[in-house]
Amino acid sequence: MNAYALLGIKLIGVSFGSMAVGLLFMGLGRKVTARIQRRMGPPFYQSFIDVIKCFTKTSITHNFVMDLGIIMALGGLIATAFFIPFANFSILGSSSVVIVLYLMSIGYLGMAMGVSASGNPNATIGISRALALMMGYEIPFVMVIMAMLITYNSSDLLTYAVAQSNGIGSWHIWKYPLGFIAVEIAFQAMVGEAPYDHMIAPAEIASGPMVELSGKYLGIGFLLHAVQLYVETGLIVNLFLGGASSWYVMLVKMFAVYFTTLSINAVMARYRIEQGIRHLWIWAGSFGLLQLIYTRIWG
Amino acid sequence: MYLPDGYTTLDKISENDDYAVYDLFFGPNHPGMHGNFGYVLDMVGTEILRVRPNAGQLHRGFEKAMENKLWAQNLSLIPRVCVPDPDPNEVAYCQAVEAILGVEIPRRARYIRSIVLEMSRLGSFLMGMGGVGGALGHYSTMYLMMIDRDLILDLFEALTGGRVYHIYNIPGGVRRDIPDGWTDKLLELCDRLESKLPEWDRLLYENPVVQDRLGGLGYISAEEAMSSGITGPSLRACGVKADVRIDTPYAAYDEIEINSKLSEGGDALARAVQVRLDFEEAVNIIRRLVKQLPDGDYKLDLGNISKLRVPKGDAYSKVEASKGEFGYYVVSDGGLKPYRVSVRGPSMPAGMYLCHKHLRGMKIDDVAVWMASFAICPPDIDR
Repeated sequence: MNAYALLGIKLIGVSFGSMAVGLLFMGLGRKVTARIQRRMGPPFYQSFIDVIKCFTKTSITHNFVMDLGIIMALGGLIATAFFIPFANFSILGSSSVVIVLYLMSIGYLGMAMGVSASGNPNATIGISRALALMMGYEIPFVMVIMAMLITYNSSDLLTYAVAQSNGIGSWHIWKYPLGFIAVEIAFQAMVGEAPYDHMIAPAEIASGPMVELSGKYLGIGFLLHAVQLYVETGLIVNLFLGGASSWYVMLVKMFAVYFTTLSINAVMARYRIEQGIRHLWIWAGSFGLLQLIYTRIWG
Repeated sequence: MYLPDGYTTLDKISENDDYAVYDLFFGPNHPGMHGNFGYVLDMVGTEILRVRPNAGQLHRGFEKAMENKLWAQNLSLIPRVCVPDPDPNEVAYCQAVEAILGVEIPRRARYIRSIVLEMSRLGSFLMGMGGVGGALGHYSTMYLMMIDRDLILDLFEALTGGRVYHIYNIPGGVRRDIPDGWTDKLLELCDRLESKLPEWDRLLYENPVVQDRLGGLGYISAEEAMSSGITGPSLRACGVKADVRIDTPYAAYDEIEINSKLSEGGDALARAVQVRLDFEEAVNIIRRLVKQLPDGDYKLDLGNISKLRVPKGDAYSKVEASKGEFGYYVVSDGGLKPYRVSVRGPSMPAGMYLCHKHLRGMKIDDVAVWMASFAICPPDIDR
């Protein structure tokens, strides 16, 4: 088979695969949250039904910029997914974590462009909160990444994963414990779960960016979150939990990361946005900085 | 607000800061709004500059509708004035009618009314505490409290046939007597609710994020609370000992010990804690009422209640509801229908007046939490 055709098939496979994994996690997450709240909850495949339903409904768009922004957001996140090693499988061979961080922000910028074009103030406030929160969690995250860069002199995710392949004892969670805590706190904000669910905040801004999305736009909104879950859980598994040698181990580890997030979400209220950013800088930032200093001096 | 032709308010944000004010409709179609009510917020960024309460959207017209219905027919309309806590409305109306009739209901009926009122208070508090959690994005509290509220509604169904609207109190007493074994189930429920309090404390009241959010929010001094007409738990949260059940006892409250506790602080956290304290005491009051429940008739014989004719006169009756004081002023011209019924709801002072002061300068983050802390129930504003 032509090498380009093979690459194309792989890219399409990762695109749909990341959506499927993310939707599965979302469905299981709803079930887990429901059980914590002593409810039955919807079936685990509910998220798939929701997306299919959204794509069959009438869609309302405000203008071309809204269409472009939302597609740009999905495109940015799918492009990020190409750089995340999934067990032994990596399309591009090299997966620089710097590129991953760079591409991840395109998702939010696309979303910002799309929903701001809708003209709804709730959506605009929501996305401005998301961008403000990015400053809160990206700085601690980058400090932890810098610690790894110092150790390995490389930004390649595969290099990090291979370095942890000698059993649980070699996982970075033990080598960078403070960094792991910092990233776990930052991850809570990345996926928009309490106490950092400012972007959606139904009682405050009527679900923020989602408020003007209908039909296929809302469906794409769900898919955005699904790919985001795939990318961010995959990133943490590769950075701290030893990567994986098989696809099912990878899935289990990814869901374990998400499960932790859901459990915290279930018992937490939401900060005000300024409290949230301050909390991220103080706690996640402190742990990240301490890890960076420790690695620079003794690592 | 002046805007040149061709500009929307949002365009102005990016072009000229002088015009950076936009309108945000917080309700009636908003997840943070409790019912058919809204605030039109003039905003700069996420900060509120001015508030315009947007009432008048319930379209039911309770007070006027009551003038066109029989005395007994109004019993099915009145609970709608406060959906989460309907029974105080029934009791206040019936007490006013009984005062004009000049009758005194049997002692057992007074006890049953008190039990029903306390159950309604518990259900409403659960919804209120869960509502504070929901406004803060703490949905687990909300769901867990709804489970327990459902158990209260089960007992209401067994007693009255209705879960949300009970239409159980009638002029002269209550519609029917307590069924066999019902009080045992009620006491079991009281034990369950009391055992849940430590879990709710850990989840909600001791939660550091909740404390950070509620502390200092919507502070109101005792003087301001009294002068603006705040009643009930919100007034007690300012350190003022005021409770209709103690100050002007009705039903069986003159025979029951009530250890009303006060929290101090006057902010949203104090109001939330006050609800928690009142909840605990309501459980104890139910136990005392059941223990002292006398035998006897559960209603007076007033003939066919559909043909009830109330003599000419007027009366005011008030009841301590979960959100504050509910008052009914009833005027009769001696006919089959009321001449006038006026409702004094507890949500009006905060919902319509205090909002102008409190919401100005507040961020959009806190509007729903502020409303939930005062337990604002729009139907009793829009009556």
